[in-house]
Amino acid sequence: MLEILNLSVTADKKDILKGINLSVQKGEVHAIMGPNGSGKSTLAQVLAGSDTYEVSSGEVTYEGEDLLELTPEERAQKGVFLAFQYPVEIPGVSNLYFLRTALNTIRKARGEEELDAMDFLTLAKDRMAALQMDDSMMQRAVNAGFSGGEKKRNEIFQMAILEPKLAILDETDSGLDIDALKLVSEGINKLRSPERAIIVVTHYQRLLNYIVPDYVHVLADGRIVKSGDKSLALELEEKGYGWIEEVAAEGELVRS
Amino acid sequence: METMVAVAENLGVYLESLEALGRRVAGREPAWLRQRRERGMQRFSELGVPTTRDEEWKYTSLSELKRNDFRLAAPASRVISAGEIKSMGFNEIEGCRLVFVNGRFMSGLSSLEAGSKEVDAGSLRDFLESDSAEAHLGRYADLENHALAALNTAFIEDGAFVRIPDRVAVEKPIHLVFVTVAEQANQVSHPRTLIVAGRDSQATVIETYIGMGEEAYWTNAVTEVVTAENAHIQHYKLQQEHVAALHTGFTYARQARDSRFASNSLSVGGRLVRSDTHVRLEDAGCECVLNGLYAVTGHQHIDHHTIIDHAMPHCNSHQLYRGILDGHSTGVFNGKVIVRQDAQKTDAIQSNKNLLLSRNADINTKPQLEIEANDVRCTHGATVGQIDEEAMFYLQSRGINRDDARSLLTYAFAADIIESLNVEPLRKPLEQFLLSWVEQAEVSA
Repeated sequence: MLEILNLSVTADKKDILKGINLSVQKGEVHAIMGPNGSGKSTLAQVLAGSDTYEVSSGEVTYEGEDLLELTPEERAQKGVFLAFQYPVEIPGVSNLYFLRTALNTIRKARGEEELDAMDFLTLAKDRMAALQMDDSMMQRAVNAGFSGGEKKRNEIFQMAILEPKLAILDETDSGLDIDALKLVSEGINKLRSPERAIIVVTHYQRLLNYIVPDYVHVLADGRIVKSGDKSLALELEEKGYGWIEEVAAEGELVRS
Repeated sequence: METMVAVAENLGVYLESLEALGRRVAGREPAWLRQRRERGMQRFSELGVPTTRDEEWKYTSLSELKRNDFRLAAPASRVISAGEIKSMGFNEIEGCRLVFVNGRFMSGLSSLEAGSKEVDAGSLRDFLESDSAEAHLGRYADLENHALAALNTAFIEDGAFVRIPDRVAVEKPIHLVFVTVAEQANQVSHPRTLIVAGRDSQATVIETYIGMGEEAYWTNAVTEVVTAENAHIQHYKLQQEHVAALHTGFTYARQARDSRFASNSLSVGGRLVRSDTHVRLEDAGCECVLNGLYAVTGHQHIDHHTIIDHAMPHCNSHQLYRGILDGHSTGVFNGKVIVRQDAQKTDAIQSNKNLLLSRNADINTKPQLEIEANDVRCTHGATVGQIDEEAMFYLQSRGINRDDARSLLTYAFAADIIESLNVEPLRKPLEQFLLSWVEQAEVSA
C-alpha cells in the first residue's frame, strides 16, 4: 500500500530525514518510535503533504501512485489521513460544518453520494458516542478553546468519520490521561481492518499496550535504525532511547 | 491658492443646484429649515472639500470631487418596479420599507405598514411641521468640522423620517432603501435620515444604499439618531453602492441616560467610500455597540472613521470592526474612543482586525484612545494578517480543496460579526451574500 524508498527531507536547508525506507501493507499496524527531534513528526507531515518541508531525494508510492505529486487534499481524497500532533484551531468554523464539508468532498471525489445534514448528524452522533464526546462539540468551532485531550479526541473522531485507508497518527497519545488513552485506542482499534493500514508515531511505549503493532521501527537522527516486532517497543522501554542512540552512532561508524 | 480656486469653481455648481432647490421648495419650506440649510452651505463654503493635508483625510483623497462637477441627481427617467427593488437584495426583510430613488421618496415603491400604527415613518417632507423634526434635524451633525455633512445639510429637501414614540417597541425592522439610478455621469444625491427614539422605545432601522446604471455617481449621506432615556435602537447600514460610485456617509448618534445604540455596518460596494460614525454618550448608563465589516476587492478604497465620546460615567462601548481586502483594494480604519473627565467607570473595548487576501491590498489602521478619567477600563487593538497557512494545510489534509479552504477561512474571519447580527431575516441573506462575495473575490484574485 505504501512504499517509502530512500526518502530524504530538509527544512530550512537542514537535513531532517536521511534516507527512510519503509514498506506498509494493507491490514498492518506499524509503530514508529524514537526520541524527540528524530524526525518522526516530519515523516508524518511529509506523508500528508505539508509544504514546510522539501523532499531532496527518494520516492513515496501509495497504492501505485506517486504520493509526493499529489496535493494534500488529493491525498486525503484518496484515503490518507493524518491525526495532527498539534491540531489547528479554526475559530469561526463549526466542527459540524467543517467535517461535513470534508466528508462530502471526499465522498464526491470517490464518486459516492454526498450525505445530507440529517444523515451526517446521525453518523456523527454515533461516532461521538463511541469516543464519549459531548454532542455540543459539533457546534463548537474547530478545536477552538479545546483542551489538549479534547483536541486529540477530535482528531480520532474525524478519522472515524472519514474512514481513511491509511491513517497516520502523530503522537496522538501525548498528553492523554489513561482513560482518554483507552478511549482513543479503542477508537483506533475499531478502524483496524484487513483493508486499512495504520502508522502510529509515538514517543511512549504506553500506547502500544492498547494498540498492538505488527511492526515497530525506531527512528533516530532521521534514519530507521532498528525494526522489529512489538517486543522491540518493550526493549526500548526497558533500555531507554540512549541505547538506540548508541546503536545509531555505531551505524554511523559502520557507514563511514 | 489652488485649493481656494478649486473650491470656488465647484461652489458654482453647488450654488446653481441649490438655487434650483430653493425655487422648488419656496413657500412650503419652514423658516427654520431654510436657516439650517443656509448655515450648511455657509459652513461648506468655509471648510471646502477636505484634502489629504487634513489629518482625518490623510489616506482618502476626494480630489475627484474637485475635478468633476457633481450635479444634483435628476429624477430617474426610467420606471423602477417594486420587484426590482426587492430583487436587489435583502428582500426577506418584512415590515415598513421606505424607498428613495435619486434622493426622492417613492411612495409607490414604499410600504408604510410598520406593524405599529404609532410609529411615524415616511418622507421627511411630510413631517417638517412636526416638533420632532424642528427639534432634532441638523442638531447632531457636526457642521463645524465636517464639510460634507454641511453640504448634505444645505441640500435637505427630502429624506427619511422615523419617530418611535415613548414606550413603543416596534417588532419588525424599518427598512430605508436609497437607490441611485445613474443615468447621467457625475450626479450626486444627499440622502438624509432622522431617527428619533422616544423614552423606553425600541426599534431596528436598516439603511441600504444601492446603485443601478453604469455611470459614476456620488452619494453623500447623513443620518442623525437621537435616543431618549432607556431607548434601544439597532441600526444597520448596508452599503452596496455600484462599484463605480463614491459614497460618503456620516452617522451621528446622541444617547440619553440608560439607552442602547447598536450600529452594524456592512460595507462592500463603491469605488471610493468614506463612512463615519460618531456616537456621543451624554448621560450615565449608556451602552453603545459598533460592529462593522468591510469587504473590498479590485481597486476599491474604503475608509471608516468612528468616534465614541464617553461624556458621563458608567457607560459601555464595544467596537468590533473587521476588514477583508483583496485585489488592489485599500482600506483605512480610524477609531477613536474619547473618555472625558466625568466618564468614570467607563468600559470600552475597541478592536479592528484585517485580513489581506492579496499582496497588493493595503490597510491603514489606527485605533486611538483619549482618556481623561482615571477609573476606567479601556482596551484597544488592531491586527493585519493573511490567511493562516497552518489552518489551510489542516483543512486540506481533511480533503477540502484549497480554494474552498480559503473561502471557509475568509468567511470564518467575519463569522463573529455575522453572528452578532440579530435580525434573523437579515442574517441569512448576509451570509449568502458574503459567501458569494468570497467566491467572487477568489475568481478575480
